[in-house]
Amino acid sequence: MSATSVSESRTAPEGGAGRRARVLDLVGLLARLVLGGVLLVAGYLKLVDLDGAVRSVVAYDLFDYEVAKFIGLTLPVLEVAVGVLLILGLLTRAAGFGGTALMVVFVAGIASAWARGLSIDCGCFGTGGPVAPGATRYLEEIVRDIALAAAGAWLLVRPRTPVSVDTLLTRRSRYERND
Amino acid sequence: MPRPPAPKSKAAKASGPPMGLIGAVTAVVVALVAVLVYLAARGDGLDASGGANALPEGGGLVVNPDVENVPEVIVYEDFQCPFCGQLEQTSGETIIEAAEAGDIKLTYIFMSFLDGASGNESSSRAANAAVCSADAGALPEFVLTVFEQQPQEGVGYEDQVFLDAAESVGVEGEQLEEFTSCVEEREYQSYVQDMGERATENGVTATPTITVDGEPVGQEQMQQLLSDPTSFESVLAETQ
Repeated sequence: MSATSVSESRTAPEGGAGRRARVLDLVGLLARLVLGGVLLVAGYLKLVDLDGAVRSVVAYDLFDYEVAKFIGLTLPVLEVAVGVLLILGLLTRAAGFGGTALMVVFVAGIASAWARGLSIDCGCFGTGGPVAPGATRYLEEIVRDIALAAAGAWLLVRPRTPVSVDTLLTRRSRYERND
Repeated sequence: MPRPPAPKSKAAKASGPPMGLIGAVTAVVVALVAVLVYLAARGDGLDASGGANALPEGGGLVVNPDVENVPEVIVYEDFQCPFCGQLEQTSGETIIEAAEAGDIKLTYIFMSFLDGASGNESSSRAANAAVCSADAGALPEFVLTVFEQQPQEGVGYEDQVFLDAAESVGVEGEQLEEFTSCVEEREYQSYVQDMGERATENGVTATPTITVDGEPVGQEQMQQLLSDPTSFESVLAETQ
């Protein structure tokens, strides 16, 4: 599928197909930057307060303490890594998959907290833990994460985006191969 | 004459770093960093000593260690949390009286996750001072007095507040000197960290939290404790 759009964009410079490919390119770029930016910020905010990150996981009341601690300490590294890859546009398809997987897990966690009647903040941006019963924002958090999962899924299906390291690398190797 | 072997071909290699290799290297680096962060941040066990009446493994400061067969009440507080201040002002005395009457076994576990709010690690320093006050035999009164002086969240305590509070609850002479150096040198800082981790390990992620025999007091009852100074007895009965 992506191969077709590549040739379309090359062979039909001003036609409808070319414009369509350019629009799809831009959607991909946007998906990359939004999902990558959110993950990078979320991971960074947790890294600067790792104790808080662990507390956020503990607040879900799903894991033993040692497991929650492991998740709380390593998840932010994963988020930053996927975020950086997406922003650079390196390994875009894999990073898109990673971002989607993270969001699916987050949605499951938030839904489970909601279903069990907990009153917590999702801790998505490092400020987790209990909140007043009326102050939960589960629906909002879930909708946001589903939208981000969709952005990741887009990149999984159509990873070719402009201004990406992936494009630079493929261009270079194609050039050298023809040499 | 046999033909010499053909020179090894350089061009056969795919040019540019292959994506598979980049992916593998990236995955390894990320996993390595994650493990390093985990190892660096997981702490080194809860083995700091907390002086008089401090339970091991960050278990907190016991007001009346000698009572038996009574409900065990643990109060989790951060000295900077506004609702902790409200709780102490409303129900602090009633809770201490219950401990002194031997109706409950009272333990404080001080958390310090609001350290970042003040810029001067105010929660940790206050928690350290509380451990010092236990050494001076002034524990529950000292906690009450410090909470009375609670600054607005984010402003933070000065050490002088702790020294004045200790004096006002009757710490004097040599004990006051020891208390002063204990506060200034943050003698129990490691124990304070252990209390924070212990609280998280106990599943407590916000303050104030009160548990009775390990069971957290519910939201509604906490509201009563925050607003009604006479509610502790009934809350205790309901939670057991």
